[in-house]
Amino acid sequence: MACKDYLFTRRNMLKTFSASMLGMPVSQLLAKADANKAQAEHVILFWNSGGMSHLDTWDPKPGRKTQGEFNPIKTSVDGMEISEIFPQLAKQMHNAALIRSIAGTNGDHGRAQYELQTGFNQNPAIVHPGLGSIVAHEREPLGDLPSLVSISGQGARAGYLGQQCEAYFVGRPGQKDPYLAFPEGISHARGMQRLQILEKMNRRTTAAKGAAELKASQTALKDAVALMESPALKAFDLKEENSATVEKYGDTEFGRGALLARRLVEKGVRFVQVNRGGFDNHGNIFEAMRNHGGVMDPAIASLISDLKANGKLEKTLVVVLSEFGRTPRINDGGGRDHWARVFSCMMAGGGIKGGTIVGASDEDGMDPAERPVKVADLHATLCHALGIDLNKELKTPLGRPMRLVRKEAEPIHELFAS
Amino acid sequence: MIRSLCALTAALPVFAASPDFREDIQPILESHCVRCHSESKVKGGLRMDTHEKMMEGGDTADAIVPGKPEESELLIRVHLRPIDEGVMPDEGQMLKHEELELLDAWVKAGAHWPKGITLTEKKPLKPKRVAMPSKAPDSVYEAAEMLDDLMRRENADTGVITTETINDDAFLRRATIDLIGRIPTMKEVREYEKWGTDRRVKLIEKLSNQPRFADRWTIFMADMLRIRSNVTGGNQLLAYIHGSIEQEKPYDEVVRELISASGRSNSNPAVGYILGDDAAPMELAAATSQIFMGVRIGCAQCHDHPFDDWAQEDFYDLAAFFGKTKQVRSRRQNGSIYTTEGDEMTILWPPEDKADPEDRRPVKPKFPFQINHSDKKPDYIKRYEDAMLVRKQKNAKDDGNASLDALLDSVEPNVGRSSNSVLKEAKAESRKLDVHGDIYRASELRKQLADLITDPRNDYFARAFVNRVWAELIGRGFVEPLDNFSDYNGMHHPSTLDFLAQEFIASGYNFRTLVRMITLSDVYRRSTLPSDTPLALREKSEKNFAAAPTRRMIGEVIYDSVVIAGHLQDYKWPKGANNKEVIREIRVPTGEYTMVENDTPAPAMMGEKKMAMRDDGYDLESSLKLDFNSILSSKEQTELIAMREESDQKIKDAEMAAMKMEQTRRVMKYKTETITETVDDNPRFDSAMRMATPAPPAHFLRVFGQPSRVGLGEFRDDASSLRQQLMMLNGRMTHEASRVGPLEPIFKLLQKDQNLAIDWAYQEILTRLPSAEERADARVIVNHSAEGMADLRWALLNSNEFRFIP
Repeated sequence: MACKDYLFTRRNMLKTFSASMLGMPVSQLLAKADANKAQAEHVILFWNSGGMSHLDTWDPKPGRKTQGEFNPIKTSVDGMEISEIFPQLAKQMHNAALIRSIAGTNGDHGRAQYELQTGFNQNPAIVHPGLGSIVAHEREPLGDLPSLVSISGQGARAGYLGQQCEAYFVGRPGQKDPYLAFPEGISHARGMQRLQILEKMNRRTTAAKGAAELKASQTALKDAVALMESPALKAFDLKEENSATVEKYGDTEFGRGALLARRLVEKGVRFVQVNRGGFDNHGNIFEAMRNHGGVMDPAIASLISDLKANGKLEKTLVVVLSEFGRTPRINDGGGRDHWARVFSCMMAGGGIKGGTIVGASDEDGMDPAERPVKVADLHATLCHALGIDLNKELKTPLGRPMRLVRKEAEPIHELFAS
Repeated sequence: MIRSLCALTAALPVFAASPDFREDIQPILESHCVRCHSESKVKGGLRMDTHEKMMEGGDTADAIVPGKPEESELLIRVHLRPIDEGVMPDEGQMLKHEELELLDAWVKAGAHWPKGITLTEKKPLKPKRVAMPSKAPDSVYEAAEMLDDLMRRENADTGVITTETINDDAFLRRATIDLIGRIPTMKEVREYEKWGTDRRVKLIEKLSNQPRFADRWTIFMADMLRIRSNVTGGNQLLAYIHGSIEQEKPYDEVVRELISASGRSNSNPAVGYILGDDAAPMELAAATSQIFMGVRIGCAQCHDHPFDDWAQEDFYDLAAFFGKTKQVRSRRQNGSIYTTEGDEMTILWPPEDKADPEDRRPVKPKFPFQINHSDKKPDYIKRYEDAMLVRKQKNAKDDGNASLDALLDSVEPNVGRSSNSVLKEAKAESRKLDVHGDIYRASELRKQLADLITDPRNDYFARAFVNRVWAELIGRGFVEPLDNFSDYNGMHHPSTLDFLAQEFIASGYNFRTLVRMITLSDVYRRSTLPSDTPLALREKSEKNFAAAPTRRMIGEVIYDSVVIAGHLQDYKWPKGANNKEVIREIRVPTGEYTMVENDTPAPAMMGEKKMAMRDDGYDLESSLKLDFNSILSSKEQTELIAMREESDQKIKDAEMAAMKMEQTRRVMKYKTETITETVDDNPRFDSAMRMATPAPPAHFLRVFGQPSRVGLGEFRDDASSLRQQLMMLNGRMTHEASRVGPLEPIFKLLQKDQNLAIDWAYQEILTRLPSAEERADARVIVNHSAEGMADLRWALLNSNEFRFIP
């Protein structure tokens, strides 16, 4: 349990005596012998909200009516072509894999976003945790920084995993989080003095009452102060990077987000989600996608090459994902509409075999032609890459047993070097 | 591993002899295990109904290894914590400590199972009840006394510690927080001090009549009903609930309106409940049962209920009451959304995955819950009927034409007994329409369902609500989770719950009466246990309501309490006193245009509102009040006439065309410039009680546990978190609240007499005077300076004592 449950002691003390004697939870006692040799330690998820066209990015259809304005270009992998809007990424494809046969089932933004980010369909009886929260919950934290950081928006919430597994939220990359330092006008010395006064007050209350809730609150306070004082916080400050680097990533909010993601991963953050919208291109899709390419291409390509250069790529799974693709047919407004029947996803690093293409859509990009991949398979793949037990079941606070990953989900094994 | 196994063995109690199988072991296995581990259901491959089967073990391991509890999977699993994976029992209640000891001893002694005994599932026993009061209470005070008496009798041999009642200061703080959602002001403290011995009674009376009472309990209802401002009808529903509490509309009437309403939110705000689930029958059936009756029949949607006796067919029967309801998006007025009734039953049996389409038949609605038809009418029902009579007469007097109103029950804008002219007009408008043939058709089926659910003889209805209100005030429900009433889930103090439910019914479902009964009781005044209480005893005493659990204020209440304690609702600095230069980025138009899509969802997900970030990042603490009155007095009534019947397809086509048109629009391009400007930093903060709900992700209220209100059975998260601490330590609100402004009383007091100022600060923030020791500490901290006082106040506001209810 990696998300901090400050109430652990109280809720469970009665039973703890027996469980701690056993030393380890049953899941581990029963752990399957074939547990995979996971490589990934971190995930960077680029979430492209609105339904990013698969045809104008990862799955071009040259010579077909559905092709649109873009031509495919060659990449660093023989026989793998992607859209011309990604010239720099094309040079990184030997580090990346494409999945071209995701068979989605939801054509509505809300439902599809929910499914793609949680692995489950919306259900009025329960709120499922997002991928980031699952990873934060299942993997031990590394270093002082929060395990899950969401940049430029919020992804799926922690659902039944609770407040402790919510993302640490960065409104805009590079923007200072006012809550990590004493308020303006309060010097560090005075702030520390205040904390001492507070500490004494809390000690008095706890001494008299002693409820676990009070102790939990004090532990959270201690951790908060430790975070404020942590040198690792510098990771959030992009001024530490020289301007050439910022420029290389494109100097856009998205580029700075990618750069921040890299810095955070280097400091031990388990899961970084970089959010961006603008993909619901019902009209003028080609102008829009050309702009998107200009923003995404330098950022993601630089990230992959930087991670590769500092040896972090093998440990970091980079995922570029959206809730669905777009219609092969180009509408009267020069746009494409929602299309969930087939779409694509790019993954790199984290033990993924570079240059792999999984599945294929048919000649017009209408339906999967080979090896359809279920949405939940993506989550199984991610968990597999991180060594998270796919069969793990958790109990919701209301006692309902819930699998982390859907039962029918299968990791895409061909993505991993054997 | 070896070390821990030794520990298990060592911890086993030494029994002189093996426990008796029939006497001690069989009841445990029959009531906790056999349900899922016998011939009919073989979970995990394990059967426990016969000795032979049990010894075969399950899929993964041997259930029982005689003589070796530490190797017996069954024993390992029953010892796990509730949150561990693989814990047993997987459903229902955990084993009691004594039961665990018995099982351990039994296995250790060789797990003897006499020949020929086959176990069968034993239903859990009905909870034991004690005798109810012999007469009806004459007043709410007497009811509170009867409640205490019942509680005492139900706790008679539980061995719990019953704590003292809290002192009067603490009571003032606790009741003010619970009833009106903030700590008391200095003025209220002084007033309370002046009242005599009956000050508690006076206080409850006063608080439950304050306008803020409706604000605070609207939050409670909004959590329960999952009201979201950003879905169709969300704000109208919020305003409707607020109005209902304000006007003391009986709870049963509110629920009847919620379940049966049709039409549009602007004319009939109660319809927001149906629209909240997109009028989807399955979702509504699950929600309606779970919210209003505390029964999770929704689990039977896909299969027979795994932990209960509900069959899938029961669920379909219930869903059929919603099976003719349709949600329609009108072609006009930017596609506003309303509900109406169709002619066709959309709920078909058998379920889609279990039969061919042509074999599926429309379901006839049937109420799967038992209505208590006893021959002798209980006294509380007689009293309820009297209350109903009074209510009816009053209603008839308030607005005439009662019979037509009854016909239009679900079309009329039911905002209490409002005389709002707009609403009257709307009602008149509705009357002109042919109710049957019109666009907003009322739902006969849902009306029937509403009557069945709110029937005073439906035991579930009042109990479910009483359980929630009780838990909100006491900290724990009679039934936990609050919405899981089931024979398999157990119930604490059933007689006390019955009594409260009956009195609630007898009062004509008067919400305030219920709150008064509870808050006037001794149970409500219990103090928490001291720090040296053994954990098991603490747990038991709190579970049995003999000691108060430690409760934290909910987010909205912390917010408003900081505002009140720090005088942030008014300016506390003279104009210009805080002038400062700030550098900030602004966006200026460039004169160029660009095309954007209209409906691109913001990166903020799943219908959550995207947050406009302030440059300083403090947006997460702002609150924006909704104006409930203006929400309800909408001018869009005329649309009712404009929208005549059109076929669904026609509407849909027009809709699509309109959407296409709106999909892209021209917007001005902007560039970012940095400017320097002088601002007067003299902030005021509003109440968080009437904010659009739920607040954006990462907002103060969400960080302090406000639920997203999406999922059923999602309760407030009251755990502590690092983020909460950061927002309180370094937030702008706590900072501003601590600073001593010249326009607040403590400023002058501090110049005059430091000791008085210290006392004032303690009373204003913690509702009590400091101890001698605390006063001495405070003198050193304050040291005659405003900064020192700010430090003291900052610490008090951040302290656990501030945040947790006394």
